[in-house]
Amino acid sequence: MEQVEPIEGYALKSSEDEKRESDTFTKVGIVGCGILGQEIARMVSSYGIDVIFLELSNSKINEAIKGIKRDLRHMIKRWGMTDSDKRAIMSRIRGTLEYEDLRGCEVVIESIKSKTREQSVETRKEIFKNIEKVVDPKAIIATNSTTLVITELAAELKNPERCVSLHFISPAGDIPLVEVAKSLYTSDDAYKRVCKFTRLLGKRIVPVIESPGIISTRLIAPMINEACEILMEGVAEMIDIDDTMKIGYGFPLGPFEMADKIGLDMVIRWLDNLYREFGDIKYKASPMLKKRVRANHLGREAGIGFYRYDEERKKIVPERHETC
Amino acid sequence: MIVLIINSGSSSIKYQLFEIKKKTLLAKGSVEKIGMQGSFLHNIRNDGDEVKLEGEIVDHQAGIEYIFGVLISKKHGSISSLDDVNAIGHRVVHGGETFKGSVLIDDDVIKKIEEVAELAPLHNPPNLKGIYAVKYLLPDIPQVAVFDTAFHQTMPDYAYMYAIPYSLYKKYGLRRYGFHGTSHKYVSQKACEMLNVDVKKQRIITCHLGNGASVTAIKHGKSVDTSMGLTPVEGMIMGTRSGDLDLGVLTFIMNKEEIRVQEANTLINKHSGMLGISGISSDMREVQKAAAEGHKRSELALKMYSYRIKKYLGAYCAAMEGMDIVVFTGGIGENDITTRYEACKNMEFLGIDIDKGENDKIVHGKQGVISKEGSKVKVVVIPTNEELVIAQETVRILNHGKKGT
Repeated sequence: MEQVEPIEGYALKSSEDEKRESDTFTKVGIVGCGILGQEIARMVSSYGIDVIFLELSNSKINEAIKGIKRDLRHMIKRWGMTDSDKRAIMSRIRGTLEYEDLRGCEVVIESIKSKTREQSVETRKEIFKNIEKVVDPKAIIATNSTTLVITELAAELKNPERCVSLHFISPAGDIPLVEVAKSLYTSDDAYKRVCKFTRLLGKRIVPVIESPGIISTRLIAPMINEACEILMEGVAEMIDIDDTMKIGYGFPLGPFEMADKIGLDMVIRWLDNLYREFGDIKYKASPMLKKRVRANHLGREAGIGFYRYDEERKKIVPERHETC
Repeated sequence: MIVLIINSGSSSIKYQLFEIKKKTLLAKGSVEKIGMQGSFLHNIRNDGDEVKLEGEIVDHQAGIEYIFGVLISKKHGSISSLDDVNAIGHRVVHGGETFKGSVLIDDDVIKKIEEVAELAPLHNPPNLKGIYAVKYLLPDIPQVAVFDTAFHQTMPDYAYMYAIPYSLYKKYGLRRYGFHGTSHKYVSQKACEMLNVDVKKQRIITCHLGNGASVTAIKHGKSVDTSMGLTPVEGMIMGTRSGDLDLGVLTFIMNKEEIRVQEANTLINKHSGMLGISGISSDMREVQKAAAEGHKRSELALKMYSYRIKKYLGAYCAAMEGMDIVVFTGGIGENDITTRYEACKNMEFLGIDIDKGENDKIVHGKQGVISKEGSKVKVVVIPTNEELVIAQETVRILNHGKKGT
């Protein structure tokens, strides 16, 4: 008959004195589980770590779970994983409406969407404070935002030294790279732990000094904007502009596909923030983007952006007008 | 003399404690879910005492510390002090071309195992974690590394080379290494003991058929060819691995399905083999059940499985210019009477004359001869015991008191 006991009594006497600090990662929190939040949840869980994500309503929780399942199904179809991998990943992911459930997380990543910059900063500050109330003083609090500076978000915390900007690039599970920015407060210890965490997720770390848009957003947002200008000038059709960048320069997605995937409202927010920070006209969001956002053509998730998408979020390839 | 065997994986550590002279297993168990929620240690003592210890096990070092802790504990232990342990033997998956046999571990050896980790990025680093942990906790205890690949280091170059540009072999060490070495070595020797023949005079084909599967040609005690290559995906059809595959198939799929290296890797390692063909399961028993109920693809999977073995028997018989013994081992090799029969039937022209009646009898850990009395080639079943081999290797190296060859 098997007996069950707690393991603590079986530590070796010799090493009991030098209790090593537990710096493993067993539970990760995500606040805001939109597309990128879902990708982060799926990726973190696939490394055997429990994930708890916080959303605003039960319907948003269900939506997120549905989105994660859809992505996993897609991965199985593309031979990237098995049914049992999917079951294991889903078993470790849970949604909640309560900050209290983030207790015990070693890392919490904020990944929300907000309508305006003002809202964006204030909401995030509030989120950071709420997270701080329930997690351990050493737990890492990170934002996935690139256009807001982490120093500003960390400023009002009791322990601002544990804050970083941890920028995963979508699709977070596939892109083996992450931009990590320290704030003015970030301690070396916290930074080291963040690096350990991201290495555990198989990511190459790109250390950056905090700066609006850091590398990825600052390069990709103006490219999308410029593609809109080309389209607006009637230089070429959308699909041809995308193909040029894909085939010509080896981009996995063309600028319009990329914009649809990111979400056009998000692209506009990035551009607005960059414009506000740098004042350069090149960051001024194109009317092509604004027009679509007003029409609620927000991109892939909405089923329509620059392109149309089917129920499985697969792009419906448009017919070309010009043929050669 | 007491030896502890450690098989350290990415999130688990399996262990067995042996009393070598009496050939007794004192205790065995495993640490599971290291660094995750729900981690535990499961220990079974040879008198049947069984305990599950639950709690946080933050890393491999903590895991090994608790293994030591439970082994010397009054309640569930098997020994009174860690001083009773004479040596620790580690299973190390890949020894590359550096390690042709088991070795006593020192800093130089650790460095070399780290260097060959590139060839087995999923296996060698966790194996090393076990070694580091023991080195930290018991710096003076002798540790021995026993490699899965070492037994196959006797293969001649014309058997282990791939016909790709030679420069790639020089640059990355790309060649066939083979795996399950300890098992192939053990069962070939055990078979000779059982048949009372000299292993140095025999040509043996060992079929290790488990979750992973490989077949080895052993001529006069030395591995001269084996079905697994640089990675364990080559050769036999396995539960979820494809085994031998035209590389053109893979590049075709990658192109058509627009998948990348990672997905292609999962495709041939996790979606293929018995599962891929049958669409039912990777478990042989379930595939057989489905086939018995008339499921066509399961029937096909089974036919392909035994056909692949048969093909290798022929190939390795030719490679050794004859064969004297065929050995079956591993979960499927030890228990699956149908696979054994299908692989060996109608092979009288090569000297294999399988005895259906005897074949049916040798299952569930039994060893025995399953060929007919007059069969030129003896077909035998030998249950494998890799841990015991690692323990014996550890003692051998310890007694030599020097690095192995």
